[in-house]
Amino acid sequence: MHECCNYNPLSTRREFLERLGMGLGGLALSSLVNPAMAADPDVIPRAKRIIYLFQSGGPSQFELFDYKPRVNAMHGQELPESVRKGQRLTGMTGFQNTLPLARSHFAFAQHGESGAWVSELMPYTAKVADELCFVKSMHTEAINHDPAITFFLTGSQIAGRPSFGSWLSYGLGTENENLPAFCVLITKDKGGQPLYARLWGNGFLPSQHQGVQFRSGQDPVLYLGNPDGVSSAQRKMQLDRLRQLHTLKEGTPDWERIESRIAQYEMAYRMQTSVPEVMDISDEPDYIFDLYGEDAREPGTFAANCLLARRLAERGVRFIQLFHQGWDHHGGLPVGIQVQAKETDQSSAALVQDLKQRGMLDDTLVIWGGEFGRTNYCQGRLTDIDYGRDHHPRCFSLWMAGGGIQSGLSYGETDDLGYNIVRDPVHVHDLQATLMHLLGINHERLTFKYQGRRFRLTDVHGTVMTPLLA
Amino acid sequence: MKNLWIICAALLSAAFLLGGCQRAPQISFNEQIRPILNERCANCHGGIRRQGDLSLLFRHEALSTAESGERAIVPFEPAASELLRRVGHTDPAHRMPKDDLPLTPEEIQTLQTWIEQGAHWEDHWAYVAPERPPLPDVSEPEWVREPMDHFVLAQLDQRGLAPQPEADCPVLVRRVTLDLTGLPPKPDDVKQICTDGALYETYVDSLLASPAYGERWAAMWLDLARYADSKGYEKDVGRTIWRYRDWVIRAFNEDMPFDQFTIEQLAGDLLPEVTESQLIATAFHRNTMTNTEGGTDDEEFRTAAVIDRVNTTWEVWQGTSFACVQCHGHPYDPFVHEEYYEFFAFFNSTADRDLDSEFPTLPSFEEELATEGEALIHEIARLEEAMIAQVRSDSLARQRRIWETTLDQPEVIGQVQLMLQNEVKRVVATLETERGDAQRWTLDYVYAGLSDDPVIVRLREEKAEKERALRALNPIHTPIMRELPFQRRTHVLERGSFLLKGEVVHPDTPDVLPGMPEDAPRNRLGMAEWLVSGENPLTARVTVNRFWEQLFGIGLVESLEDFGTQGLERIHPELLDYLAISFVEDHDWSIKSLLRMIVLSATYRQSSHVTDELLQRDPRNRYLARGPRFRLSAEQIRDQALQVSGLLSSRMYGPSVMPPQPEGLWKNPYDSRQWQTSEGDDRYRRAIYTYWRRTVPYPSMATFDSPSREFCVSRRIRTNTPLQALVSLNDPVFIEAAQALAERMQKAKDPITAGYTYAMGTSPNREALDVLTALYTDAFTHYTEGTEDAARLIGDHESAELAALTIVANAILNLDQFLMKE
Repeated sequence: MHECCNYNPLSTRREFLERLGMGLGGLALSSLVNPAMAADPDVIPRAKRIIYLFQSGGPSQFELFDYKPRVNAMHGQELPESVRKGQRLTGMTGFQNTLPLARSHFAFAQHGESGAWVSELMPYTAKVADELCFVKSMHTEAINHDPAITFFLTGSQIAGRPSFGSWLSYGLGTENENLPAFCVLITKDKGGQPLYARLWGNGFLPSQHQGVQFRSGQDPVLYLGNPDGVSSAQRKMQLDRLRQLHTLKEGTPDWERIESRIAQYEMAYRMQTSVPEVMDISDEPDYIFDLYGEDAREPGTFAANCLLARRLAERGVRFIQLFHQGWDHHGGLPVGIQVQAKETDQSSAALVQDLKQRGMLDDTLVIWGGEFGRTNYCQGRLTDIDYGRDHHPRCFSLWMAGGGIQSGLSYGETDDLGYNIVRDPVHVHDLQATLMHLLGINHERLTFKYQGRRFRLTDVHGTVMTPLLA
Repeated sequence: MKNLWIICAALLSAAFLLGGCQRAPQISFNEQIRPILNERCANCHGGIRRQGDLSLLFRHEALSTAESGERAIVPFEPAASELLRRVGHTDPAHRMPKDDLPLTPEEIQTLQTWIEQGAHWEDHWAYVAPERPPLPDVSEPEWVREPMDHFVLAQLDQRGLAPQPEADCPVLVRRVTLDLTGLPPKPDDVKQICTDGALYETYVDSLLASPAYGERWAAMWLDLARYADSKGYEKDVGRTIWRYRDWVIRAFNEDMPFDQFTIEQLAGDLLPEVTESQLIATAFHRNTMTNTEGGTDDEEFRTAAVIDRVNTTWEVWQGTSFACVQCHGHPYDPFVHEEYYEFFAFFNSTADRDLDSEFPTLPSFEEELATEGEALIHEIARLEEAMIAQVRSDSLARQRRIWETTLDQPEVIGQVQLMLQNEVKRVVATLETERGDAQRWTLDYVYAGLSDDPVIVRLREEKAEKERALRALNPIHTPIMRELPFQRRTHVLERGSFLLKGEVVHPDTPDVLPGMPEDAPRNRLGMAEWLVSGENPLTARVTVNRFWEQLFGIGLVESLEDFGTQGLERIHPELLDYLAISFVEDHDWSIKSLLRMIVLSATYRQSSHVTDELLQRDPRNRYLARGPRFRLSAEQIRDQALQVSGLLSSRMYGPSVMPPQPEGLWKNPYDSRQWQTSEGDDRYRRAIYTYWRRTVPYPSMATFDSPSREFCVSRRIRTNTPLQALVSLNDPVFIEAAQALAERMQKAKDPITAGYTYAMGTSPNREALDVLTALYTDAFTHYTEGTEDAARLIGDHESAELAALTIVANAILNLDQFLMKE
């Protein structure tokens, strides 16, 4: 009866499962994830994971990727009503007497063989332009931050749905039992729109699918560290005894459930090693810091988080969600956006290059973008050196790379004034459907029944955008 | 017999006749037909898409002529029924369901027989009022303790199962104590009942009478009420609404009958001679979120709040996913789009409108300031009335008209309070003759704030002065419901958008349910009374099911939130109906009385032991051949750890508190508030008093599956994750509890046995004691060797004993049986 006590409780999960004759494996699979429902037999998965570099606040497409010489030429002139077509404005510019077009403060040039237009704010991104796919024709439904970012990451403007990463955790499970399937990294000390747990929340899915925030500093995951005065060896000894207490129930019909509790404690113990290990970048060579920039040495910066994203990707984390706040430039745009670009440009490009040199870009999807775009007209006073832009849901730009996305492509087009889309619109739900498709998931099939209805990330919409696929 | 032969002869000629010509058993629409229609047809021919002008939701629609000129279903005439021709078609281009797997031959046969039998429709069971079912005969009448046990045992008899014997006394005492108070029993309680022979019934009564009872059940209700101490959305700034939380606790403790509990929360403000407590109750629906983001349109988020009130009311009282109907007709259940907005109209005339100030609120004062405060409130109300009267007086009519014509000018509208500008623009854009009461009122209100008429100016100044005096009294403002003096016009909103207005509708309840009495007021009060009228087939069922789920871990209808046709199967339909009827008629809506009956029943008292065979046949205990066993809730896990370690504070009520949480979680650039860790007793209050910020949930609560409270949640899905292990092993709250328990243990003669007994109410068996002792010995050895570690753990380097006991206590607080209710 007590032979059990010889087995090492802290052995790997695989041994553990084998020992159980897959009893627990079956339990884990059926209760934690739902791969059968998601898998689309007609789709060969191109990507295994996503790194989403979310730029919160709504980066201005006019200063980054959507080159509009006509706006430059019409600088200071009124936005024609024939273009605006009654588009709803926010309460911030809705009462402005005039809506003067504002030219970009920054010069654009074409880059790489693909000839992609990128502004001078993003020199490193420009250098990897041929690896990227720029979508100029994104559009969304919300005009305020909270509904828009919630829509982007959960498929609905109203709180309550699972986030993108939670859906993937639910649909595809994890490749590494020692780390969460869905990790969240937020640039430290940024101002701008607040971020909230809902954006990586599990909604109505079971809570093991919620994103786990990795923080810079002592306890990268909440409560990861043992209390003061409890060493790792002490803790192991304590958990051994705890397991022994639990094993007293071995042979009872309730045993399978108790074993699953034991397994969680073992996983927690392993996370105490695996998380600090992934967070410890001291083993990265100097050339990596040359690539990502010196910022990457400073924990909590966007650059450091990009590097961590690569480390988490290497270890099989399914969805790595970065957030970088501060793109909400209602005023002071020329100065503000330079800071933002400097913080993100080099390391974002470096991440793409680094994944490529490791052969990981093929099965890792990288996305860079925010929740909506900005207006072509000025919010507040337009001067030669200063202006601002309000929220604009009708068009905006983002870029993607790797994981089966067509590289060297600029997709979609906005009108001369950058106000409306004139060619190949991509709705938020289309983007979600496309990304899921690349992961081998039929977005109409990955559903969860709640309140009598089958819910999905793309609600009742979404089309896979085949032109974006390699 | 003769008739049957005629039908058979007619049918024989039909090419699609699949079966023979025996008399087919009567087909049940609800059990056999509706599942086919819902699963295979409703996607295209339901309440949303009515392709080919055919919907199978209502019988009259299914029987009428579709776009093709054919009738899908012709009762008694399979040959004329297009539906049968199409589902059996050999050509996939014509076969239904389109582009999908065909129906099975059995399904087609069932549909055919049903049509032959007349294609009778049945209302879904949940929309038909329950009737008191007769008590069924059972194999062992002596097992029965309460009438409800008849229903359970009869089912078990039918399935050839036997109930488990009664749980061991300490286990049962722990179960009932946790169930009724959310706290574990004290070892003394266990001893009194299990050793000294005190009566279980008396003990149950003492639990029901304990103040902890209200705190435990309020925790459940607050998930439904989406109670939180913050306003939600991106800024998520603080909200002072804890007086509502206290109201819920008191209501449970006073055993307010559930019908009254309902009416006060939904419409307390409309009751005659309304009391302060009844106004506070209406904060139930002020727990909707308020969007304070810059540049948002208040009307958009006021509409969102009203939608949330409708959806929440339907989920809480009717177990119906009414939210589906806000965009279109219900895909499966008999509710049409317009009915959603008719119900919306009940909620559409409250005075709140997504203002940052949370207007309207109820100020309340420190006791000695109450008289002065209330006098000021009356005075302010009087001045407001006088101002509006003056605004509407003839003497100002001309000036007023001129002012209105200038409202489209930016410099004029610029004077209007920013939050009202959108609304005023909309009013001005509406022809004067088309304006509703609400719009006229908006202009009155704005004009009263801006006019330079001397009378108004004087009243305004006087009012400002009174308001200053009121502020000086530092009242607590609780958001409440208040009805406007007029009705807002309610439109059907396309896809739920506040910008896409359809036809005008008036307050009403959906047709599928018994209507409101003719003379009932068509307002929130009438609606609330309708919910608890006794005619309503859903309210009592949905409610008893909720309480049942809290005790047994799974509802009689598992989907607490959905009793519709897509809800999950009922295992004990008669038991559910019996409980619902009994709740209303025998227990007069008393929750304490209902719970008392259940916890005294033989069903509840069963041991949760399970055999391999039973586990296989009934893994989730739906048949109730054993007692419940499941993990405690987030609140209970915290409260229990504090209780057994002697730390728990018994202080009730008041502003929410901030027990320790890791630093740096609250980072909101728009909000400089910090998590100010509470001191003294407030560190150890029950979880229900922990400050609840929607966008930054208290970590240990969220890890143990508590919802964000951004919206109503009926059911927490229990999970088991490594992050939970990290909380109960390492969270300073749990470490502090382990230290305190260790100190209690140190004082006892047998410290380890004492520690276990504090936790489980009963002493450990030999084997468990051996392992705990071995753990103690290992830890003790370590702490005598490394004295610094002891000092770091407990702050006292001398006491290796206390340090080692802390390690043991920490292990006890992580035992599976401690985290479970069994």
